[in-house]
Amino acid sequence: MQLSEFNRIVRQVLILPILALLLIAAALYWQIHTANGLVDRIQLSNAAISQTNLVGQMIFDQETGLRGYQITGDPRFLEPYNAAQATIPANLQKLQDLTSASPTEAVWVARLKADKEEVARLITDYQTWQQSFAVPVLATMKAGGTTRGENEAGDVEFNLEGKTLMDAVRRDLQAVVQSADARRVRRVTHWHQQIRTLEEVLAASALLGGVLIGLFTLNRLHAVSDQYQFSLTKMRLQSEKIFESEQQLRTTLASIGDGVIACDPEGRVMMMNEVAATLTGWTLNEAMGQPLETIFNIINETTREVVENPVAKVKRLNRVVGLANHTILIRRDGVELNIDDSGAPIRSPEGELTGVVMVFRDITLEKRTRDALMANEKLAVAGRLAATIAHEIHNPLDSVSNLLFLLKQQSTPEETAQFLDLAQQELARVTQISRSMLGLYRESHAPVPIDLKDILEGTLVLLGGRIQDLGARVETELPVGLSIDGFPAELRQVFTNLITNAAEAAGAGGVVTVRVMQRPIATLTGERQADGFLIEIEDNGPGIPENLAEKLFQPFFSTKGEQGTGLGLWVSRGIVRKHGGDLTLVSLAEGGGSRATVSLATHPTMNASGD
Amino acid sequence: MTSVGFFSSNPHLVLCVDDELVGLSVRRILLERSGYKVLTALNGVEALELFREQPVEAVILDYSMPGMQGAEIASLMRRSKPEVPILLLSAYLGLPDEVISTVNIYMTKGEGAPVLLEKLSSLFPLARAAEIS
Repeated sequence: MQLSEFNRIVRQVLILPILALLLIAAALYWQIHTANGLVDRIQLSNAAISQTNLVGQMIFDQETGLRGYQITGDPRFLEPYNAAQATIPANLQKLQDLTSASPTEAVWVARLKADKEEVARLITDYQTWQQSFAVPVLATMKAGGTTRGENEAGDVEFNLEGKTLMDAVRRDLQAVVQSADARRVRRVTHWHQQIRTLEEVLAASALLGGVLIGLFTLNRLHAVSDQYQFSLTKMRLQSEKIFESEQQLRTTLASIGDGVIACDPEGRVMMMNEVAATLTGWTLNEAMGQPLETIFNIINETTREVVENPVAKVKRLNRVVGLANHTILIRRDGVELNIDDSGAPIRSPEGELTGVVMVFRDITLEKRTRDALMANEKLAVAGRLAATIAHEIHNPLDSVSNLLFLLKQQSTPEETAQFLDLAQQELARVTQISRSMLGLYRESHAPVPIDLKDILEGTLVLLGGRIQDLGARVETELPVGLSIDGFPAELRQVFTNLITNAAEAAGAGGVVTVRVMQRPIATLTGERQADGFLIEIEDNGPGIPENLAEKLFQPFFSTKGEQGTGLGLWVSRGIVRKHGGDLTLVSLAEGGGSRATVSLATHPTMNASGD
Repeated sequence: MTSVGFFSSNPHLVLCVDDELVGLSVRRILLERSGYKVLTALNGVEALELFREQPVEAVILDYSMPGMQGAEIASLMRRSKPEVPILLLSAYLGLPDEVISTVNIYMTKGEGAPVLLEKLSSLFPLARAAEIS
């Protein structure tokens, strides 16, 4: 799962409950606010009841005061009356004010109106009592009369009326108190309802909010869990893939027929495969962490000097390197193996060198096979030459034998002289052939000076019969006195091969041209030019098909069917390269034919194996 | 040492074919001294021409020659005059069977003059028989 996705879910899970709680709090606040309003109203009702009682008390005090004054005529009794008289209107007004509705009590407006009317009636009845009874009583009393009703029947009636009026006021007061009380009861009930509603709303919203938050959180957690599962599955698949590919690499590495050793940049062994273990004689466990040169002990085959550690070489050159030819690996038990190997840097994606990997293989058998093949080809050349030589020697020997037979019989001195002369000529031919043949197999261990004219003519003598059999003709351009250093037997093998090939290509009536030219030649390594010669052997045969040009130098490739070993050109090129020169074969553009060019340095640096 | 027809008034005519000039001349002298009449040819074309035109009684043929090989010449001669015996000379040992079966006698060079003369004379049994009788 993406981290941002996860963070988003966490935010949602945090913010939603806060929002829900805020909503619930707002609702709660509103409910409480409303309830507070109701409590105010209830208090208002209480105040109205108190006020009514207070007003009632005042009115009763007034009446009592008035009655006392009426009976006694003592103005002191009028004190409560006068005191009340000053405050009653204000208190009545206050009572009227207290009997009012809040906008939230719209449903009760009609009832409230009735309540107000009751208060208004109270006020009216009170005023009526005052105007119709109290004021006249006071006026009478001040005028010196009495209203006690002892004397006149009218007074009694008047007093009764005053009582009736006061009774009306009492009833009104009672009605107002009752209304206020009823109002209070309603308001309390309403308040209770409201509280219950509040509780219900609170419970419901808590439940709902809780459930919603729970569900939402559950949903979000599921999302996280799903994502987590998904990531987990993905990771497991990836790790399985990695494991598989690692196994595959391991198997591949183990199955590689070549030895593979991987080192860290310091040249310590980090990993090697079975083949490497077999070739070095060290097991992976023993080799792990060892310096490469300890387990990979390599020397030069010819000089026996220690060869540069491939890791050091790779680090120095910072590229893939092949080891020098003729490297010998000394196995742990001392057995020497010819190996062919290469080292390559291992780089991190940033290009930093993180190690070096070496691949090497045992070429001991291959080398022996190649040596055996080269020896075999040498014998094959000798075998083919033997037939030619027999033919070459048999012809003059036959003549000599016939001449000796003739000499035994009677002959004239002239005839004898002629026979002897002929016999001598034929013997000279035999001698020349046998001398050429001697040169072919005289091995030398160091290069010796070779006269190019001599060696080429000697080869042509040996091949004379074969060339003649093929019906070809040889032309030579061989300057005298050109000499190089080399191994004569081997070079003769090369020329024998090339001249035979040319004669076979030229065929009956064809021409083989052998020429030597003095030219600076490029050495095989291409580093410099050296004094040397080009020996060209040309024929006017059909030329070389383009697709065969390079194949001709591969071992066992032959265009001659059973007649050839397929090794001639391969061995020849090997010999020439050993002499530090090169052998090339081209088709001649004009008029067909092909040309083999052997380049040889005058004083070559010998190259031990020729490749 | 038999030299058939040495003193014969009607010596056998032998055609000698070889590309080796010295060898051919020496062989000619040898055969003439032995009483044969000898025709020589240095190559196949010349040899076939003489064979067609002259009443050749036997042929001594070199196997290895440039251009037309001895075996080819022999088979051409067999086609035109099958009755004429052919002696094949070769410097090589072990010639192919079909070549040997084409000719009457096959011998290697260097076996010596007496062997050659004996083998040549054996090609004329009727003549020798007539001589004896």
